[in-house]
Amino acid sequence: MISFVLNRFVSGCIVILGLTVLSFLLVHLVPGDPVQVMLGIHATPERMEELRSQLGLDKPLWTQYVRYLSDLLHGDLGTSIKTGRPVLVEIADRFPETAKLAVSALVIAIVIGILTGTLAARFKGSFIDALFTGFATLGVSIPSFWLGILLVMLFSVTLKWFPIANGTGFRDMILPALTLGVVASTLISRLTRNGMVDALSNDYIRTARAKGLEERTILFRHALRNVLIPVVTVIGLQLASLIGGTVIIEQVFNWPGLGTMAIGSILSRDFPLIQGTILFMGVVYVVINTIVDILYHAIDPRVEFGAKVAS
Amino acid sequence: MGIGFRKAFSSLGILLLSAVIAVGCTSKGSGESEATGTNSASPNASEAAASAQPGGTIRIGIMEEADTLDIHKSVMNLPSQIGIQIGGALLSLNPATNELEPFLADSYTVSEDGKTLTFKIREGVAFHDGTPLTAQSFKDTFERIMNPETGATTAASFLRGVKSVSAPDDRTFVIEMETPSATLLTNLTDMPFLQPLSMSAIEAAGADYGRNPVGVGPWKFDKWVPGQSILLSRNDAYNWGPSFYERKGKAYPDQVEYKFFTDMQTMMAALDTGSIDIAYKVDTSDAKRYRDNPNYTLVEADMQGLGLFIEMNLENETLKDVQVRKAINKAINKDAIIQAVLNGEGSPAYGPLPSTIFGYDPEVEKYGYSYDANGAAQMLESSGWKKNSGGIMEKDGKPLQLELAITNQDSQAAQMVQAMLKEIGIELKIQVWDQATLLQKVSQGEYDMNFLIYGYNDPDILYNFFHSSQIGGLNHVRVRNSDLDKLLAEGGATLDQEKRKQIYAKIQNIIVDEAYWAPIYVPKVIHVANNKIQNVKLQKSTLLLDLYDSWVKPK
Repeated sequence: MISFVLNRFVSGCIVILGLTVLSFLLVHLVPGDPVQVMLGIHATPERMEELRSQLGLDKPLWTQYVRYLSDLLHGDLGTSIKTGRPVLVEIADRFPETAKLAVSALVIAIVIGILTGTLAARFKGSFIDALFTGFATLGVSIPSFWLGILLVMLFSVTLKWFPIANGTGFRDMILPALTLGVVASTLISRLTRNGMVDALSNDYIRTARAKGLEERTILFRHALRNVLIPVVTVIGLQLASLIGGTVIIEQVFNWPGLGTMAIGSILSRDFPLIQGTILFMGVVYVVINTIVDILYHAIDPRVEFGAKVAS
Repeated sequence: MGIGFRKAFSSLGILLLSAVIAVGCTSKGSGESEATGTNSASPNASEAAASAQPGGTIRIGIMEEADTLDIHKSVMNLPSQIGIQIGGALLSLNPATNELEPFLADSYTVSEDGKTLTFKIREGVAFHDGTPLTAQSFKDTFERIMNPETGATTAASFLRGVKSVSAPDDRTFVIEMETPSATLLTNLTDMPFLQPLSMSAIEAAGADYGRNPVGVGPWKFDKWVPGQSILLSRNDAYNWGPSFYERKGKAYPDQVEYKFFTDMQTMMAALDTGSIDIAYKVDTSDAKRYRDNPNYTLVEADMQGLGLFIEMNLENETLKDVQVRKAINKAINKDAIIQAVLNGEGSPAYGPLPSTIFGYDPEVEKYGYSYDANGAAQMLESSGWKKNSGGIMEKDGKPLQLELAITNQDSQAAQMVQAMLKEIGIELKIQVWDQATLLQKVSQGEYDMNFLIYGYNDPDILYNFFHSSQIGGLNHVRVRNSDLDKLLAEGGATLDQEKRKQIYAKIQNIIVDEAYWAPIYVPKVIHVANNKIQNVKLQKSTLLLDLYDSWVKPK
């Protein structure tokens, strides 16, 4: 187990190292002089020189990268050109809002996904199954920003049930979390349904029914447990992709998280902030994935760590 | 100041297709232009006060988050907007009379040679942090601006020509100039950029001052929620408003809140649902809907600058011929482009200045070029061009082909211009570049024609566009005209406003007569206010929202 965890940790670090190369090269992949791009063509030569040396762009590429890495290790993600504040401070201001939204969306996704998946499996072949499966297929194909706009039109503009751009309280979070959650629930729902259909055809379910157990107990205690392993994996991955997926939804709902900040930094060509946000989101993604990987093996007793590692 | 400064200065005013407008530099005559909206007439406090009620919050949606509220360091628009609410200035400009009036200075004198300005600072004024306002506050602030390490590009440009500042006593503030300046006194009315700052607040906050600004204005900074909003609350001690307001006391609403948006449609939906009361700078495509709705008022004015114009490279063989340049001017149907691109929310531009900038000569509407395709074709023919079988003008066997460099945001207007020029036999190729490349190419003269936009508020900007010393910089058309050079230099140094106006009238005449540019339009700056907020005005000199007399209608 320990060697497996160590292995995941090391490969996580390698991926993050790759990420640092990508985010570092971002500045150099921009056509033309990056300083010119950042400051605009009419910037004074003095300001350009200042920024060039501030960013270390006057040094050889590998020196720059080593400096970049060493700064990162010291927790220095650079300074935002726009606000003049440390990138880490900017991210720390925004990340909690994104995390709040992503976690709420995940909770909604889990509740809707497991409930509809289980019911669809229980009433396999019935109208309910067709409805939920159809709903899930539709959900997979709907772009979340489009659903978001529709929800705003209906619930905010027409019905005026929910405010727009009113803060980040519970009521403000319902629509964006619902948008993200509904879309994310579809995958969970389909996985749950398929797993449940398999599980419900097993002998032990028949035994349980024969014993006269309550249907609810059979479904959620006995069958669901066996379905959970793949579902939990997907849920973990969903959380990671939700954090990335909020970029567009934050835009639609004017949510003050990392997503709106990332788009703002791209529009204002604030390279250190773009680099920092990309790196940060990448690291979050890798960390969640690694944890899910480890959890997956921890909750499934059938998995042999040694064998997995070797493969 | 020398050319180097001018170059640095120019970086402010020029924006290519960017939503930000560099504002701040006031000019005495700008009030004569019609910077009025449906309810943005000149301040009339008695009328407003009749039913004005204190209390409430004005919530304003805006499509940007501020970079920093340290006005010396900001390069954005919102900090200026907030700056006029949390700050003040030495002098004020009466929008009704265009006269300079006392504000934070009770009085001032200008020495005989025009180089020494002495101000008597008003007593009893205090910063939001309690520090009293003294002459020393102005000295420290101005020195901070003039210190290159501060990086106060915009504010420093307003103090161009200032040699030194001093505060011989608490109430006396002295500015020494290198040469007399045409614009300094009116610049001193600029509330966002030349407002006094509290040095004790700057020291106390350190690097965080940009998020804890302190001023002397009718509102004080309350809080900044990252990604969401900036909240200002009323300064109850305020009783030193500019003299042209009949009312000197505190403002009406308890709070003003600026909410940041990243999507225009979300902002408009927030206005519709009442989450915000004013939408700051809306798209022209949204304006009409509110214009027709009795529950909203449009607060609007023409932009200070040109929203679209064509520059023509005088080093190009074909464009060297003034007849060709004039023909291009005449071939363009400005109204059609305004309809298509701005949904009609703009005015045709006939010269290099909009009506909202000091020195604008209304005569230009008469002698400038109006749409006349036949006249344009005749001009080309008079210059030796003849239409070939394909309908394209030819001279010595060479067809009249030109290239128009644009960024893709302007492709609609570019295609219209292409079709309009085709009418008179000019074949126009459209070349799309990214912004940086386009500007680089045009400043090096590697182009035939290009689209540009500029935002500024003093006619001195024309120096950057047309003075021969600016070739390689903003003199993209590469004009060397000694008469023009002389006038442009004079315009920047003439103190007498009437004379200055005449100089710029001549300058506009030359530029139009030589057809260096083909001006197309001046777009409107439009804010939409819910009628529950009364008496929302525009500050004429900066086109920023003036909320001093505004009040919230109780439910």
